[in-house]
Amino acid sequence: MENNTGLTNLAREIREDIIAAVVPNNSHHIGCSLSIVEILTYLYFKKLRIFPKEPKNPERDIFILSKGHAALALYCILQKKGFFKEKLLDTYDQDNSSFPEHASSGVPGVELSTGSLGHGLPVGVGFALSFKNDKKNNQVTVLMSDGELDEGSNWEAIMFAGQHRLDNLTIVIDLNGFQGYGETKKVIDLSPIGKKISEFGWNVYETDGHNFDELTKTFDGFEKNNRPNCIIAKTVKGKGVPYFEGKFEAHYMKLDQETKDKILSEL
Amino acid sequence: MRSAIIEEIYNLMKENGNVYFLTGDLGYDVLEKIEAEFPNRFYNMGVAEQNMIGVASGLALSGKKVFVFSITPFVTMRCYEQIRNDVCFHDLDITILGIGSGLSYGILSSTHFSLEDIAILRPLPNMTIFSPVDEIEARLGMRYFKNHHHPLYIRIGKKKEEIIYKQPYDFQYGKGVIIRPGKDVVIFATGPIIGEALSAADLLKEKNIEAEIINLHTIKPLDNDLIISESQGKKLIITLEEHGIIGGLGSAVSEVIGEYLPGNRVMRFGVEDKPINIVGSQTFLRKQFCLDSIGIMDTILKELKTY
Repeated sequence: MENNTGLTNLAREIREDIIAAVVPNNSHHIGCSLSIVEILTYLYFKKLRIFPKEPKNPERDIFILSKGHAALALYCILQKKGFFKEKLLDTYDQDNSSFPEHASSGVPGVELSTGSLGHGLPVGVGFALSFKNDKKNNQVTVLMSDGELDEGSNWEAIMFAGQHRLDNLTIVIDLNGFQGYGETKKVIDLSPIGKKISEFGWNVYETDGHNFDELTKTFDGFEKNNRPNCIIAKTVKGKGVPYFEGKFEAHYMKLDQETKDKILSEL
Repeated sequence: MRSAIIEEIYNLMKENGNVYFLTGDLGYDVLEKIEAEFPNRFYNMGVAEQNMIGVASGLALSGKKVFVFSITPFVTMRCYEQIRNDVCFHDLDITILGIGSGLSYGILSSTHFSLEDIAILRPLPNMTIFSPVDEIEARLGMRYFKNHHHPLYIRIGKKKEEIIYKQPYDFQYGKGVIIRPGKDVVIFATGPIIGEALSAADLLKEKNIEAEIINLHTIKPLDNDLIISESQGKKLIITLEEHGIIGGLGSAVSEVIGEYLPGNRVMRFGVEDKPINIVGSQTFLRKQFCLDSIGIMDTILKELKTY
Protein backbone atom coordinates (compact mmCIF):
# COMPACT_ATOMS: atom_id res chain seq x y z
CA MET A 1 0.00 0.00 0.00
CA GLU A 2 1.44 3.33 -0.98
CA ASN A 3 2.02 6.05 1.56
CA ASN A 4 -0.91 8.39 1.86
CA THR A 5 0.69 10.91 4.25
CA GLY A 6 0.42 13.58 1.58
CA LEU A 7 -3.32 13.10 1.32
CA THR A 8 -3.72 13.06 5.10
CA ASN A 9 -1.94 16.41 5.34
CA LEU A 10 -4.06 17.81 2.54
CA ALA A 11 -7.22 16.69 4.29
CA ARG A 12 -6.15 18.49 7.44
CA GLU A 13 -5.50 21.65 5.45
CA ILE A 14 -8.91 21.37 3.80
CA ARG A 15 -10.54 21.10 7.25
CA GLU A 16 -8.65 24.23 8.26
CA ASP A 17 -9.88 26.01 5.14
CA ILE A 18 -13.46 24.94 5.85
CA ILE A 19 -13.38 26.29 9.39
CA ALA A 20 -11.52 29.40 8.28
CA ALA A 21 -14.20 30.23 5.68
CA VAL A 22 -17.06 29.90 8.17
CA VAL A 23 -18.70 33.20 8.98
CA PRO A 24 -19.05 33.34 12.77
CA ASN A 25 -22.65 33.09 13.99
CA ASN A 26 -23.92 32.78 10.42
CA SER A 27 -22.73 29.76 8.40
CA HIS A 28 -24.17 26.30 8.93
CA HIS A 29 -23.77 22.95 7.08
CA ILE A 30 -20.34 22.57 8.61
CA GLY A 31 -20.68 19.00 9.92
CA CYS A 32 -21.80 17.65 6.54
CA SER A 33 -18.87 19.39 4.85
CA LEU A 34 -16.40 17.85 7.28
CA SER A 35 -17.66 14.31 6.69
CA ILE A 36 -16.70 14.29 3.00
CA VAL A 37 -13.21 15.80 3.24
CA GLU A 38 -11.29 12.55 2.67
CA ILE A 39 -13.58 11.45 -0.17
CA LEU A 40 -13.14 14.76 -1.99
CA THR A 41 -9.41 14.91 -1.28
CA TYR A 42 -8.95 11.42 -2.67
CA LEU A 43 -11.05 12.15 -5.78
CA TYR A 44 -9.54 15.54 -6.64
CA PHE A 45 -5.93 14.80 -5.75
CA LYS A 46 -5.69 11.22 -6.91
CA LYS A 47 -8.52 10.04 -9.07
CA LEU A 48 -10.28 12.56 -11.26
CA ARG A 49 -8.93 13.80 -14.55
CA ILE A 50 -9.45 17.54 -14.20
CA PHE A 51 -8.06 20.73 -15.67
CA PRO A 52 -8.12 23.57 -13.13
CA LYS A 53 -7.06 26.13 -15.72
CA GLU A 54 -9.68 24.90 -18.19
CA PRO A 55 -12.62 23.82 -16.02
CA LYS A 56 -14.73 22.93 -19.08
CA ASN A 57 -12.11 20.88 -20.92
CA PRO A 58 -14.10 18.22 -22.82
CA GLU A 59 -11.70 15.48 -21.68
CA ARG A 60 -12.44 16.08 -17.99
CA ASP A 61 -14.09 13.65 -15.63
CA ILE A 62 -17.38 14.84 -14.19
CA PHE A 63 -17.92 15.20 -10.48
CA ILE A 64 -21.36 16.19 -9.16
CA LEU A 65 -21.96 17.05 -5.53
CA SER A 66 -25.57 16.00 -5.20
CA LYS A 67 -25.56 16.80 -1.49
CA GLY A 68 -25.23 20.45 -2.41
CA HIS A 69 -25.38 21.57 1.21
CA ALA A 70 -21.77 20.44 1.63
CA ALA A 71 -20.57 22.91 -0.99
CA LEU A 72 -18.10 24.50 1.40
CA ALA A 73 -15.93 21.38 1.32
CA LEU A 74 -16.02 21.33 -2.49
CA TYR A 75 -15.15 25.03 -2.77
CA CYS A 76 -12.15 24.50 -0.46
CA ILE A 77 -10.96 21.59 -2.60
CA LEU A 78 -11.38 23.55 -5.84
CA GLN A 79 -9.54 26.47 -4.29
CA LYS A 80 -6.69 24.21 -3.29
CA LYS A 81 -6.56 22.79 -6.83
CA GLY A 82 -6.32 26.31 -8.24
CA PHE A 83 -9.66 26.52 -10.04
CA PHE A 84 -9.96 30.12 -8.89
CA LYS A 85 -7.92 32.71 -7.05
CA GLU A 86 -7.67 31.81 -3.39
CA LYS A 87 -9.02 35.12 -2.19
CA LEU A 88 -12.47 34.53 -3.63
CA LEU A 89 -13.39 32.27 -0.75
CA ASP A 90 -12.96 35.19 1.65
CA THR A 91 -16.47 36.20 0.62
CA TYR A 92 -18.13 32.85 1.42
CA ASP A 93 -21.64 33.28 2.86
CA GLN A 94 -21.40 37.06 2.74
CA ASP A 95 -23.52 39.64 0.95
CA ASN A 96 -23.04 39.58 -2.83
CA SER A 97 -20.81 36.49 -2.66
CA SER A 98 -20.46 34.15 -5.65
CA PHE A 99 -20.06 31.28 -3.15
CA PRO A 100 -23.51 30.37 -1.85
CA GLU A 101 -23.90 27.81 0.91
CA HIS A 102 -25.36 25.34 -1.61
CA ALA A 103 -23.21 24.37 -4.59
CA SER A 104 -23.35 26.83 -7.47
CA SER A 105 -22.24 26.17 -11.04
CA GLY A 106 -21.21 29.82 -11.13
CA VAL A 107 -18.07 28.68 -9.29
CA PRO A 108 -15.36 27.42 -11.69
CA GLY A 109 -15.16 23.63 -11.38
CA VAL A 110 -18.69 23.11 -10.05
CA GLU A 111 -20.56 21.14 -12.73
CA LEU A 112 -24.10 21.52 -11.41
CA SER A 113 -25.91 23.81 -9.01
CA THR A 114 -27.46 21.62 -6.36
CA GLY A 115 -29.26 22.13 -3.09
CA SER A 116 -32.57 20.41 -3.59
CA LEU A 117 -31.79 16.73 -3.08
CA GLY A 118 -32.22 13.98 -5.65
CA HIS A 119 -31.08 16.05 -8.66
CA GLY A 120 -27.42 15.12 -9.03
CA LEU A 121 -27.69 11.45 -9.92
CA PRO A 122 -30.12 11.76 -12.87
CA VAL A 123 -27.91 14.48 -14.33
CA GLY A 124 -24.86 12.27 -13.77
CA VAL A 125 -26.65 9.47 -15.62
CA GLY A 126 -27.19 11.85 -18.57
CA PHE A 127 -23.46 12.67 -18.68
CA ALA A 128 -22.55 8.97 -18.46
CA LEU A 129 -24.97 8.04 -21.24
CA SER A 130 -23.57 10.77 -23.47
CA PHE A 131 -19.93 9.71 -22.93
CA LYS A 132 -20.72 6.05 -23.43
CA ASN A 133 -22.55 6.64 -26.70
CA ASP A 134 -19.72 8.85 -27.92
CA LYS A 135 -17.22 6.12 -26.93
CA LYS A 136 -15.38 8.58 -24.69
CA ASN A 137 -13.50 7.60 -21.56
CA ASN A 138 -14.68 10.39 -19.25
CA GLN A 139 -15.80 9.01 -15.89
CA VAL A 140 -18.75 10.36 -13.91
CA THR A 141 -18.83 10.42 -10.10
CA VAL A 142 -21.78 11.59 -8.03
CA LEU A 143 -21.48 12.13 -4.28
CA MET A 144 -24.75 11.73 -2.41
CA SER A 145 -25.93 11.76 1.15
CA ASP A 146 -27.63 8.78 2.76
CA GLY A 147 -30.70 10.85 3.70
CA GLU A 148 -30.96 11.97 0.08
CA LEU A 149 -31.82 8.42 -0.94
CA ASP A 150 -35.37 9.05 0.31
CA GLU A 151 -35.94 10.98 -2.94
CA GLY A 152 -37.62 8.74 -5.54
CA SER A 153 -35.77 10.44 -8.40
CA ASN A 154 -32.59 8.67 -7.24
CA TRP A 155 -34.23 5.27 -7.57
CA GLU A 156 -35.50 6.15 -11.05
CA ALA A 157 -31.91 6.95 -11.97
CA ILE A 158 -30.47 3.86 -10.25
CA MET A 159 -32.87 1.64 -12.21
CA PHE A 160 -32.06 3.33 -15.52
CA ALA A 161 -28.27 3.22 -15.01
CA GLY A 162 -28.45 -0.49 -14.12
CA GLN A 163 -30.63 -1.26 -17.14
CA HIS A 164 -28.24 0.52 -19.52
CA ARG A 165 -25.09 -0.78 -17.83
CA LEU A 166 -23.48 2.60 -17.37
CA ASP A 167 -20.13 1.36 -16.12
CA ASN A 168 -18.60 4.83 -16.45
CA LEU A 169 -20.80 6.01 -13.57
CA THR A 170 -19.92 5.80 -9.87
CA ILE A 171 -21.95 6.99 -6.93
CA VAL A 172 -20.44 7.53 -3.52
CA ILE A 173 -22.94 7.49 -0.67
CA ASP A 174 -21.80 9.50 2.33
CA LEU A 175 -23.26 7.24 4.99
CA ASN A 176 -23.09 9.44 8.07
CA GLY A 177 -26.35 8.15 9.52
CA PHE A 178 -28.08 11.48 9.95
CA GLN A 179 -30.58 13.40 7.85
CA GLY A 180 -32.38 16.71 8.14
CA TYR A 181 -34.55 16.02 11.15
CA GLY A 182 -33.30 12.81 12.66
CA GLU A 183 -31.29 9.63 12.43
CA THR A 184 -31.59 7.95 9.06
CA LYS A 185 -32.41 4.58 10.58
CA LYS A 186 -35.30 6.13 12.54
CA VAL A 187 -36.71 8.24 9.69
CA ILE A 188 -36.59 5.87 6.71
CA ASP A 189 -34.36 2.90 7.36
CA LEU A 190 -32.94 1.94 3.99
CA SER A 191 -30.49 -0.63 5.30
CA PRO A 192 -29.18 -2.73 3.77
CA ILE A 193 -28.80 0.01 1.14
CA GLY A 194 -26.11 -1.92 -0.72
CA LYS A 195 -28.33 -4.92 -1.26
CA LYS A 196 -31.14 -2.76 -2.62
CA ILE A 197 -28.87 -1.02 -5.09
CA SER A 198 -27.05 -4.16 -6.21
CA GLU A 199 -30.40 -5.77 -7.05
CA PHE A 200 -30.79 -3.11 -9.75
CA GLY A 201 -27.63 -4.26 -11.49
CA TRP A 202 -24.92 -2.30 -9.73
CA ASN A 203 -21.61 -3.32 -8.18
CA VAL A 204 -21.66 -2.26 -4.56
CA TYR A 205 -18.61 -1.75 -2.33
CA GLU A 206 -18.38 -0.69 1.28
CA THR A 207 -15.50 1.34 2.58
CA ASP A 208 -14.33 3.64 5.35
CA GLY A 209 -14.89 7.12 3.95
CA HIS A 210 -12.09 8.59 6.05
CA ASN A 211 -9.37 6.08 5.23
CA PHE A 212 -7.26 6.79 2.14
CA ASP A 213 -5.90 3.26 1.90
CA GLU A 214 -9.40 1.86 1.83
CA LEU A 215 -10.68 4.48 -0.58
CA THR A 216 -7.79 3.74 -2.94
CA LYS A 217 -8.33 0.01 -2.72
CA THR A 218 -12.05 0.36 -3.39
CA PHE A 219 -11.80 2.74 -6.34
CA ASP A 220 -8.98 0.71 -7.89
CA GLY A 221 -10.75 -2.58 -7.37
CA PHE A 222 -13.91 -2.09 -9.44
CA GLU A 223 -15.00 -5.23 -11.23
CA LYS A 224 -14.97 -5.01 -15.01
CA ASN A 225 -18.45 -6.32 -15.66
CA ASN A 226 -20.26 -3.45 -17.41
CA ARG A 227 -22.16 -2.37 -14.33
CA PRO A 228 -22.31 1.02 -12.65
CA ASN A 229 -20.50 1.22 -9.32
CA CYS A 230 -21.72 2.27 -5.91
CA ILE A 231 -19.44 2.95 -2.99
CA ILE A 232 -21.01 3.10 0.42
CA ALA A 233 -18.60 5.23 2.38
CA LYS A 234 -19.08 5.05 6.13
CA THR A 235 -18.37 8.45 7.56
CA VAL A 236 -18.75 10.41 10.77
CA LYS A 237 -20.63 13.68 10.64
CA GLY A 238 -18.34 16.53 11.65
CA LYS A 239 -15.27 14.27 11.34
CA GLY A 240 -11.99 15.72 12.52
CA VAL A 241 -13.42 18.50 14.67
CA PRO A 242 -14.52 17.28 18.12
CA TYR A 243 -16.91 20.22 18.48
CA PHE A 244 -19.01 18.75 15.64
CA GLU A 245 -17.97 15.10 15.47
CA GLY A 246 -20.74 12.54 15.56
CA LYS A 247 -23.46 15.05 16.34
CA PHE A 248 -26.78 15.27 14.52
CA GLU A 249 -26.87 19.03 15.20
CA ALA A 250 -23.62 19.46 13.24
CA HIS A 251 -25.86 20.11 10.23
CA TYR A 252 -27.14 23.33 11.78
CA MET A 253 -24.64 24.37 14.47
CA LYS A 254 -22.93 27.69 13.98
CA LEU A 255 -19.59 28.82 15.35
CA ASP A 256 -18.86 31.93 17.32
CA GLN A 257 -15.54 33.66 16.80
CA GLU A 258 -13.99 32.25 19.96
CA THR A 259 -14.87 28.63 19.13
CA LYS A 260 -13.73 29.12 15.56
CA ASP A 261 -10.33 30.39 16.72
CA LYS A 262 -10.02 27.54 19.21
CA ILE A 263 -10.77 24.91 16.55
CA LEU A 264 -8.29 26.47 14.14
CA SER A 265 -5.55 26.48 16.74
CA GLU A 266 -6.20 22.79 17.49
CA LEU A 267 -6.22 21.72 13.85
CA MET B 1 -49.77 18.75 -35.30
CA ARG B 2 -48.05 16.12 -33.17
CA SER B 3 -46.97 14.07 -36.18
CA ALA B 4 -45.76 17.17 -38.03
CA ILE B 5 -43.55 18.14 -35.10
CA ILE B 6 -42.17 14.62 -34.76
CA GLU B 7 -41.41 14.57 -38.48
CA GLU B 8 -39.48 17.85 -38.17
CA ILE B 9 -37.49 16.37 -35.27
CA TYR B 10 -36.82 13.24 -37.30
CA ASN B 11 -35.39 15.41 -40.09
CA LEU B 12 -33.26 17.30 -37.59
CA MET B 13 -31.94 14.06 -36.06
CA LYS B 14 -31.02 12.90 -39.53
CA GLU B 15 -28.93 15.97 -40.26
CA ASN B 16 -27.52 16.47 -36.73
CA GLY B 17 -26.00 13.52 -34.85
CA ASN B 18 -25.99 15.51 -31.64
CA VAL B 19 -29.76 15.41 -31.15
CA TYR B 20 -31.32 13.07 -28.57
CA PHE B 21 -34.95 12.10 -28.05
CA LEU B 22 -36.27 10.86 -24.69
CA THR B 23 -39.81 9.66 -24.03
CA GLY B 24 -41.58 8.90 -20.79
CA ASP B 25 -42.91 5.59 -22.11
CA LEU B 26 -45.40 7.15 -24.53
CA GLY B 27 -45.56 7.71 -28.27
CA TYR B 28 -47.25 4.61 -29.67
CA ASP B 29 -47.69 4.93 -33.44
CA VAL B 30 -45.78 8.23 -33.48
CA LEU B 31 -42.16 7.62 -32.44
CA GLU B 32 -41.41 4.26 -34.05
CA LYS B 33 -39.50 5.73 -36.98
CA ILE B 34 -37.17 7.75 -34.74
CA GLU B 35 -36.63 4.74 -32.50
CA ALA B 36 -35.79 2.46 -35.40
CA GLU B 37 -33.45 4.84 -37.15
CA PHE B 38 -31.59 6.36 -34.20
CA PRO B 39 -31.35 3.60 -31.58
CA ASN B 40 -28.43 5.27 -29.80
CA ARG B 41 -30.13 8.62 -29.53
CA PHE B 42 -33.66 7.52 -28.72
CA TYR B 43 -34.40 6.35 -25.18
CA ASN B 44 -37.58 5.18 -23.57
CA MET B 45 -36.88 6.40 -20.04
CA GLY B 46 -39.73 4.42 -18.53
CA VAL B 47 -42.48 6.00 -16.48
CA ALA B 48 -40.00 8.18 -14.61
CA GLU B 49 -40.21 11.83 -15.57
CA GLN B 50 -37.94 13.27 -12.88
CA ASN B 51 -35.10 11.07 -14.07
CA MET B 52 -35.98 11.85 -17.69
CA ILE B 53 -35.48 15.60 -17.17
CA GLY B 54 -32.33 15.00 -15.11
CA VAL B 55 -30.84 12.73 -17.78
CA ALA B 56 -31.80 15.26 -20.46
CA SER B 57 -29.91 17.87 -18.43
CA GLY B 58 -26.78 15.73 -18.19
CA LEU B 59 -26.93 15.10 -21.94
CA ALA B 60 -27.39 18.81 -22.63
CA LEU B 61 -24.54 19.76 -20.26
CA SER B 62 -22.31 17.45 -22.29
CA GLY B 63 -23.25 19.30 -25.48
CA LYS B 64 -26.34 17.52 -26.81
CA LYS B 65 -29.63 19.00 -28.00
CA VAL B 66 -32.40 17.06 -26.28
CA PHE B 67 -36.13 16.60 -26.86
CA VAL B 68 -38.30 15.13 -24.08
CA PHE B 69 -41.76 13.81 -24.85
CA SER B 70 -44.83 12.92 -22.83
CA ILE B 71 -48.37 13.96 -22.01
CA THR B 72 -48.23 17.53 -20.71
CA PRO B 73 -48.93 17.16 -16.97
CA PHE B 74 -46.47 14.27 -16.71
CA VAL B 75 -43.63 16.08 -18.45
CA THR B 76 -44.17 19.45 -16.77
CA MET B 77 -45.68 19.00 -13.29
CA ARG B 78 -44.28 15.68 -12.16
CA CYS B 79 -40.76 16.95 -12.78
CA TYR B 80 -41.26 20.67 -12.27
CA GLU B 81 -38.31 21.21 -9.96
CA GLN B 82 -35.99 19.41 -12.37
CA ILE B 83 -37.19 21.80 -15.09
CA ARG B 84 -36.61 24.77 -12.81
CA ASN B 85 -33.24 23.88 -11.26
CA ASP B 86 -31.56 21.67 -13.82
CA VAL B 87 -32.93 22.94 -17.14
CA CYS B 88 -33.78 26.60 -16.60
CA PHE B 89 -31.24 27.70 -14.00
CA HIS B 90 -28.51 26.14 -16.18
CA ASP B 91 -30.06 27.49 -19.41
CA LEU B 92 -29.89 24.14 -21.23
CA ASP B 93 -30.73 23.17 -24.81
CA ILE B 94 -33.78 21.08 -23.91
CA THR B 95 -37.17 21.12 -25.61
CA ILE B 96 -40.15 19.82 -23.67
CA LEU B 97 -42.79 18.38 -25.98
CA GLY B 98 -46.07 18.49 -24.05
CA ILE B 99 -48.79 16.54 -25.80
CA GLY B 100 -52.51 17.17 -25.35
CA SER B 101 -52.88 20.93 -24.94
CA GLY B 102 -55.95 22.11 -23.05
CA LEU B 103 -58.86 19.71 -23.29
CA SER B 104 -57.63 17.70 -26.24
CA TYR B 105 -57.59 14.46 -24.21
CA GLY B 106 -61.34 15.01 -23.78
CA ILE B 107 -62.58 11.58 -22.73
CA LEU B 108 -59.44 10.57 -20.81
CA SER B 109 -60.46 12.88 -17.94
CA SER B 110 -58.90 15.71 -16.05
CA THR B 111 -55.66 13.93 -15.02
CA HIS B 112 -54.67 14.22 -18.69
CA PHE B 113 -55.84 17.79 -19.36
CA SER B 114 -53.29 20.55 -19.52
CA LEU B 115 -54.86 23.66 -18.07
CA GLU B 116 -52.06 24.92 -15.83
CA ASP B 117 -48.94 24.39 -17.95
CA ILE B 118 -48.58 27.99 -19.17
CA ALA B 119 -49.14 29.26 -15.64
CA ILE B 120 -46.38 27.15 -14.13
CA LEU B 121 -43.81 27.41 -16.91
CA ARG B 122 -44.13 31.13 -17.62
CA PRO B 123 -42.30 32.29 -14.46
CA LEU B 124 -39.21 30.15 -15.12
CA PRO B 125 -36.13 32.09 -16.21
CA ASN B 126 -34.73 31.31 -19.70
CA MET B 127 -37.94 29.45 -20.66
CA THR B 128 -39.62 30.05 -24.01
CA ILE B 129 -43.23 28.93 -24.54
CA PHE B 130 -44.34 28.14 -28.08
CA SER B 131 -47.99 27.37 -28.69
CA PRO B 132 -48.62 26.71 -32.37
CA VAL B 133 -52.08 27.04 -33.86
CA ASP B 134 -51.77 24.33 -36.48
CA GLU B 135 -49.47 21.99 -38.34
CA ILE B 136 -48.09 24.66 -40.68
CA GLU B 137 -47.13 26.98 -37.85
CA ALA B 138 -45.75 24.06 -35.82
CA ARG B 139 -43.38 23.20 -38.68
CA LEU B 140 -42.30 26.84 -39.10
CA GLY B 141 -41.56 27.04 -35.39
CA MET B 142 -39.61 23.78 -35.36
CA ARG B 143 -37.43 25.01 -38.21
CA TYR B 144 -36.77 28.26 -36.38
CA PHE B 145 -36.02 26.55 -33.05
CA LYS B 146 -33.40 24.27 -34.61
CA ASN B 147 -30.92 27.01 -33.79
CA HIS B 148 -32.41 27.94 -30.42
CA HIS B 149 -30.19 26.51 -27.68
CA HIS B 150 -32.21 27.34 -24.58
CA PRO B 151 -35.11 25.83 -22.63
CA LEU B 152 -38.23 25.57 -24.77
CA TYR B 153 -41.70 24.25 -24.05
CA ILE B 154 -43.95 23.39 -26.97
CA ARG B 155 -47.64 23.22 -26.24
CA ILE B 156 -48.83 20.60 -28.67
CA GLY B 157 -52.40 19.57 -29.44
CA LYS B 158 -52.94 15.99 -30.43
CA LYS B 159 -54.02 15.35 -33.94
CA LYS B 160 -56.31 16.59 -36.68
CA GLU B 161 -56.40 20.19 -35.53
CA GLU B 162 -58.15 22.63 -37.83
CA ILE B 163 -55.78 24.10 -40.42
CA ILE B 164 -55.66 27.88 -40.02
CA TYR B 165 -52.76 28.73 -42.31
CA LYS B 166 -53.12 27.61 -45.89
CA GLN B 167 -49.44 28.17 -46.54
CA PRO B 168 -46.22 29.00 -44.71
CA TYR B 169 -45.77 32.62 -43.62
CA ASP B 170 -42.91 34.71 -42.27
CA PHE B 171 -42.70 33.20 -38.76
CA GLN B 172 -40.89 35.38 -36.27
CA TYR B 173 -39.82 34.42 -32.77
CA GLY B 174 -41.77 36.32 -30.12
CA LYS B 175 -43.90 38.18 -32.67
CA GLY B 176 -47.65 37.82 -32.75
CA VAL B 177 -49.58 37.65 -36.01
CA ILE B 178 -52.73 39.55 -37.00
CA ILE B 179 -54.70 36.84 -38.71
CA ARG B 180 -57.89 38.83 -39.17
CA PRO B 181 -58.16 42.61 -39.01
CA GLY B 182 -61.10 44.33 -37.30
CA LYS B 183 -61.81 47.69 -35.69
CA ASP B 184 -64.28 47.05 -32.86
CA VAL B 185 -62.86 44.43 -30.53
CA VAL B 186 -59.56 42.55 -30.37
CA ILE B 187 -59.14 38.90 -29.44
CA PHE B 188 -55.67 37.75 -28.41
CA ALA B 189 -55.57 33.98 -28.68
CA THR B 190 -53.15 31.08 -28.75
CA GLY B 191 -53.16 27.49 -30.00
CA PRO B 192 -55.72 25.53 -31.99
CA ILE B 193 -58.65 27.27 -30.29
CA ILE B 194 -57.98 30.20 -32.61
CA GLY B 195 -60.26 28.31 -35.00
CA GLU B 196 -63.16 29.05 -32.65
CA ALA B 197 -62.15 32.72 -32.52
CA LEU B 198 -62.24 32.97 -36.30
CA SER B 199 -65.72 31.41 -36.45
CA ALA B 200 -66.87 33.72 -33.67
CA ALA B 201 -65.59 36.67 -35.69
CA ASP B 202 -67.71 35.51 -38.66
CA LEU B 203 -70.78 35.39 -36.42
CA LEU B 204 -70.03 38.79 -34.90
CA LYS B 205 -69.68 40.28 -38.36
CA GLU B 206 -73.32 39.39 -39.02
CA LYS B 207 -74.12 41.60 -36.03
CA ASN B 208 -71.96 44.39 -37.48
CA ILE B 209 -69.14 43.90 -35.03
CA GLU B 210 -65.63 43.61 -36.42
CA ALA B 211 -63.31 41.44 -34.34
CA GLU B 212 -59.57 41.54 -34.87
CA ILE B 213 -57.90 38.18 -34.20
CA ILE B 214 -54.29 38.02 -33.07
CA ASN B 215 -52.33 34.79 -32.86
CA LEU B 216 -49.83 34.92 -30.01
CA HIS B 217 -47.92 31.74 -30.84
CA THR B 218 -45.09 32.68 -28.49
CA ILE B 219 -46.42 33.24 -24.99
CA LYS B 220 -42.98 33.87 -23.56
CA PRO B 221 -41.48 36.14 -24.66
CA LEU B 222 -44.75 37.94 -25.29
CA ASP B 223 -45.21 40.48 -28.07
CA ASN B 224 -45.93 43.46 -25.82
CA ASP B 225 -45.70 46.00 -28.64
CA LEU B 226 -48.39 44.28 -30.69
CA ILE B 227 -50.64 43.86 -27.65
CA ILE B 228 -50.36 47.56 -26.85
CA SER B 229 -50.82 48.82 -30.42
CA GLU B 230 -53.78 46.57 -31.28
CA SER B 231 -55.58 47.19 -27.98
CA GLN B 232 -55.71 50.92 -28.40
CA GLY B 233 -59.05 52.28 -29.63
CA LYS B 234 -60.90 48.96 -29.23
CA LYS B 235 -64.24 48.68 -27.45
CA LEU B 236 -63.14 45.48 -25.78
CA ILE B 237 -59.85 43.65 -25.18
CA ILE B 238 -60.37 39.88 -25.10
CA THR B 239 -58.11 36.89 -24.50
CA LEU B 240 -58.90 33.33 -25.51
CA GLU B 241 -57.05 30.15 -24.60
CA GLU B 242 -57.71 26.50 -23.90
CA HIS B 243 -56.11 26.79 -20.47
CA GLY B 244 -57.27 27.62 -16.97
CA ILE B 245 -58.38 31.18 -16.38
CA ILE B 246 -55.54 31.76 -13.90
CA GLY B 247 -51.98 32.33 -14.97
CA GLY B 248 -52.15 31.69 -18.71
CA LEU B 249 -52.31 33.93 -21.76
CA GLY B 250 -55.14 35.99 -20.21
CA SER B 251 -53.02 36.77 -17.19
CA ALA B 252 -50.00 37.54 -19.35
CA VAL B 253 -51.94 39.98 -21.56
CA SER B 254 -53.57 41.54 -18.49
CA GLU B 255 -50.13 42.25 -17.06
CA VAL B 256 -49.20 44.14 -20.21
CA ILE B 257 -52.47 46.07 -20.33
CA GLY B 258 -52.27 46.85 -16.62
CA GLU B 259 -48.78 48.17 -17.03
CA TYR B 260 -49.05 50.10 -20.29
CA LEU B 261 -52.76 50.81 -20.84
CA PRO B 262 -54.15 51.07 -17.31
CA GLY B 263 -57.88 51.62 -17.00
CA ASN B 264 -58.81 49.13 -19.73
CA ARG B 265 -60.77 46.01 -18.92
CA VAL B 266 -59.51 42.66 -20.20
CA MET B 267 -62.12 39.98 -20.73
CA ARG B 268 -60.54 36.53 -20.34
CA PHE B 269 -61.90 33.36 -21.92
CA GLY B 270 -60.52 30.20 -20.36
CA VAL B 271 -61.51 27.18 -18.31
CA GLU B 272 -63.02 28.09 -14.96
CA ASP B 273 -61.10 27.55 -11.73
CA LYS B 274 -62.81 24.33 -10.62
CA PRO B 275 -62.07 20.61 -10.75
CA ILE B 276 -63.52 19.17 -13.94
CA ASN B 277 -65.75 16.19 -13.35
CA ILE B 278 -67.20 15.81 -16.82
CA VAL B 279 -65.64 14.25 -19.88
CA GLY B 280 -66.45 14.30 -23.56
CA SER B 281 -65.02 15.27 -26.91
CA GLN B 282 -62.90 18.40 -27.12
CA THR B 283 -65.76 20.05 -29.05
CA PHE B 284 -68.25 19.14 -26.32
CA LEU B 285 -65.98 20.35 -23.52
CA ARG B 286 -65.25 23.66 -25.24
CA LYS B 287 -68.99 24.25 -25.40
CA GLN B 288 -69.36 23.53 -21.67
CA PHE B 289 -66.84 26.23 -20.86
CA CYS B 290 -68.17 28.79 -23.38
CA LEU B 291 -65.02 28.38 -25.46
CA ASP B 292 -66.82 27.47 -28.70
CA SER B 293 -67.57 30.05 -31.38
CA ILE B 294 -71.19 30.55 -30.32
CA GLY B 295 -70.31 30.81 -26.64
CA ILE B 296 -67.59 33.32 -27.44
CA MET B 297 -69.94 35.38 -29.62
CA ASP B 298 -72.76 35.40 -27.06
CA THR B 299 -70.48 36.43 -24.21
CA ILE B 300 -68.94 39.23 -26.24
CA LEU B 301 -72.36 40.53 -27.34
CA LYS B 302 -73.61 40.52 -23.76
CA GLU B 303 -70.54 42.38 -22.62
CA LEU B 304 -70.83 44.99 -25.37
CA LYS B 305 -74.44 45.72 -24.42
CA THR B 306 -73.40 46.75 -20.95
CA TYR B 307 -71.22 49.51 -22.41
